[in-house]
Amino acid sequence: SGELYCSLPNPRNVHFESINMKNVLHWSAPEGTGDGVLYRVKYSVYGVGKWIRKPECRNINRTWCDLSNETSDYEEQYYASVKAFLNGTCSDWVETTRFNPLTDTKIDPPMVSVSSTDKSISIILTAPEKWKRSPEEESVSLLQVYPGLQYNVSVLNKKTKKRWFFSINNNTLVVPWLEPGTAYCVSAQIHVTTPVLDSSFSK
Amino acid sequence: KILHFGACRVSMSMTEIRAGFTAIKANIQSRDPIRTLSILSHPQSLHKVKSSDRCCITRHLLTFYVDKVFKHCRTEDSFVNRKISSIANSFLSARRKLGQCREQNNCVCGEESTEKFKQILANYEGLNVTSAAMKSLGELDILLDWMEKSR
Repeated sequence: SGELYCSLPNPRNVHFESINMKNVLHWSAPEGTGDGVLYRVKYSVYGVGKWIRKPECRNINRTWCDLSNETSDYEEQYYASVKAFLNGTCSDWVETTRFNPLTDTKIDPPMVSVSSTDKSISIILTAPEKWKRSPEEESVSLLQVYPGLQYNVSVLNKKTKKRWFFSINNNTLVVPWLEPGTAYCVSAQIHVTTPVLDSSFSK
Repeated sequence: KILHFGACRVSMSMTEIRAGFTAIKANIQSRDPIRTLSILSHPQSLHKVKSSDRCCITRHLLTFYVDKVFKHCRTEDSFVNRKISSIANSFLSARRKLGQCREQNNCVCGEESTEKFKQILANYEGLNVTSAAMKSLGELDILLDWMEKSR
């Protein structure tokens, strides 16, 4: 379609929000525009010549677009861009900064399963999986993506408020010499040494 | 951190290098308006390099960054310049270590790696020096991701 003269203010804060490599483009509406603004989205692989339109995000009124499918190869880097339309006029295309899924994603805490004897606790940790297109697709653990992935584990004695911290590479931990009949709170965090990525602690 | 390249092992302060680059990444990449060309990753991705060629390519790339990139990336921002020189010093040290390993004939260049490095140089020489150096610096995370991929 021929380019209109674009006098509409630009969408703002165009950026990727990524968790476990589920990569969603977000932006804010142009300043001073009420309802009725529609958006189009395109993306490009850094180093490759063309912009590719995202059909599912053509003429949408929401301010996000899931580009996980298009940005799933984490050995590549990407740009995305958004354009706003209202009452026959439009804005410029507004781009993200360069997005590197490997370094720019956030990681969820690990899954923690705990079993106990009267004097010890056994903890098994499971790293989250990388985003996948469909449930049938083979799962990829973030452990495979980040070989340097470690776990930080916190064990709190709820009676004395004494806390122990452990940093482990494998996914199991046994904490011995505990007080029988005492409640302990176990929480764990993922720590990737490089690129530096830390999840929050599990609840 | 100890990185393994074939028979060669090189210790590099990857966390510091990464932190330094992360601090200047947005600044450096914003100085590179060319989306359609990559120095390191296209047309052929670094990730396609065979493991037997990793040592040679790494040695070439360390030399490439020391000789052709860092020195052409002076900016008007002293904070950015300090981070660049800190990264450059880490690369100099790593190159020296890898050079020592090479002297024991452990870092041989195969045809494929020579070809790959020629492609990188061709990409670099397709731009003027400052643009090429700034683009290469903006791709440092591509290099670090690849170097760390199979440590």
